[in-house]
Amino acid sequence: MTTQDPGKLMAKADKLTKLSFTRWNADWKNATALYEQAAVGYRFKKENEKAKEAFEKASKGQEMISSPWDAAKHMESAASLAKELGHWNEVSDFYRKASELYRECGRSQPASDALGKGASALEDTNPDEAVRLYIDACEILEEDGKEQMAFDLYRAATSTYVKLERYTDAATLLLRWGVAADKCNAVNSQCKAYLSAIIIYLYMHDFQQAQKCYNDCSQVGAFLSSDQGRCARKLLSAYEEGDIEEIKRLAQPSPITHLDHVIIKLARKLPTGDLKELEKEEDKETLDENDLT
Amino acid sequence: MSVIDILTRVDAICKKYEKYDVERLNGDNVAGDDAFARLYASVDLDVESALQKAETASQEKNRAAVVALNAEIRRTKARLLEEVPKLQRLALKKNIAFCEIFLYQVKGLSKEELSTRNDLVLALPDRIQSIPDGSTNGAKATGSWTASASRTEIRFDSTSDGRFESEYFQQTEESNQFRQEYEMRKMKQDQGLDIISEGLDTLQNMAHDMNEELDRQVPLMDEIDSKVDKATSDLKNTNVRLKETVNQLRSSRNFCIDIILLCIILGIAAYLYNVLKK
Repeated sequence: MTTQDPGKLMAKADKLTKLSFTRWNADWKNATALYEQAAVGYRFKKENEKAKEAFEKASKGQEMISSPWDAAKHMESAASLAKELGHWNEVSDFYRKASELYRECGRSQPASDALGKGASALEDTNPDEAVRLYIDACEILEEDGKEQMAFDLYRAATSTYVKLERYTDAATLLLRWGVAADKCNAVNSQCKAYLSAIIIYLYMHDFQQAQKCYNDCSQVGAFLSSDQGRCARKLLSAYEEGDIEEIKRLAQPSPITHLDHVIIKLARKLPTGDLKELEKEEDKETLDENDLT
Repeated sequence: MSVIDILTRVDAICKKYEKYDVERLNGDNVAGDDAFARLYASVDLDVESALQKAETASQEKNRAAVVALNAEIRRTKARLLEEVPKLQRLALKKNIAFCEIFLYQVKGLSKEELSTRNDLVLALPDRIQSIPDGSTNGAKATGSWTASASRTEIRFDSTSDGRFESEYFQQTEESNQFRQEYEMRKMKQDQGLDIISEGLDTLQNMAHDMNEELDRQVPLMDEIDSKVDKATSDLKNTNVRLKETVNQLRSSRNFCIDIILLCIILGIAAYLYNVLKK
């Protein structure tokens, strides 16, 4: 059977599934088996296009005989072949479909894995879609209460955002990461996420935002008393004083070097822009404070 | 027997037979009759003990112990210096009170002996002053000061403060070097400590990450555990059923009949093959 030409197998399977005058019910079971064999045969022969189609049809067949797990597996294979072929929109579609099928099985981890794989495949070519996939993956896990697994996804998504230079989104995502870490008592990761967010705000030269962020995060007791919190405090006070040397010095030692390397690169570039501007803005602030009316 | 054993045994024997040591007793007795010699011997003994204490003080690491030892030494020195005039008087006296029996010993306090005694007594203050007590630093002109200082004065710093100025420059040469060395060593220690602290920070970060990773894996392990339990129970089930089936097969005679039939068929096939080959 395996030596049979995959083309022939495909033709046979198509015949089985096509409803015609003589055939009232499509025989999906046999058809699926044939489709699978054909797909494997094509993949072996490296005819990716045909293999992909075969996998698609096999997956559909599995759906019809209501075994979503196998269907999802075939979808994933189809998606990886599409990736090799470079059909990027197909890649995302297939992975999403696979993820849905996994969710039907009630297995959230493989679902988010599928989305994660899709996102990493699309990182270079279609980063927006990639980020969307990452976020969806994180949501799936959070729904299921498995935030721990989401950390890697958050990390990848943040690095993609930074590459896209969408820093506000990156910072928001980091704060979400902090929330997820909080739920599973991962204090270290939480503090690191908050510190990274503050650094991103400072990199964007948005000192007020950074201050606000720091104040918000200080509500969390763990952050306040942690190394990362201390580093953030020192960084912000160095910014207030406009002390460039201090900022550069602070970017060297440990709490920052333990963060993600993308953030470290940002921190090394730190002080961006003119610190004098910050001082001017602050003067306005102090005037407001003195104004008691 | 090792050397240590021999030494301990010799010590024990000596101690046991100490009371028969005529020479020593005689020595004690001799000193005992002569007041000067007695006093001198006791002063000598005190000087020796003070020197020993100074040795230990110089090797002692604990500052408080050093200070205490130095204070003791100073007290001893003060006391001994008080004894010195007494000795001087005794040296000049011809002690003939006890010379009736040991006439030859004391009466003949010859001129030489007298002079030696004088010299000894004169040398004594110097010896006493030269005992290091933590505040002297090669000071020489001790005699004049101690003579003028009154005996009832509480000597806080027995080498007195007046001389401090003259010694000042001497001290700072050495102490400058010392201070430099101290600063350099301190810097090196600080550098080393910085490196250690960096390493510890990295270790702490890694430990935290490992902690979180392990926390992450705990529910996974629980899942694996339950799934594997289920799989093992399924397997056990299947095994039992399989065992029953195989037993059934074996118990009936089907098995033997199968083998016999198989042999017959093989025989027929072999026969046919032979026939066809021909």
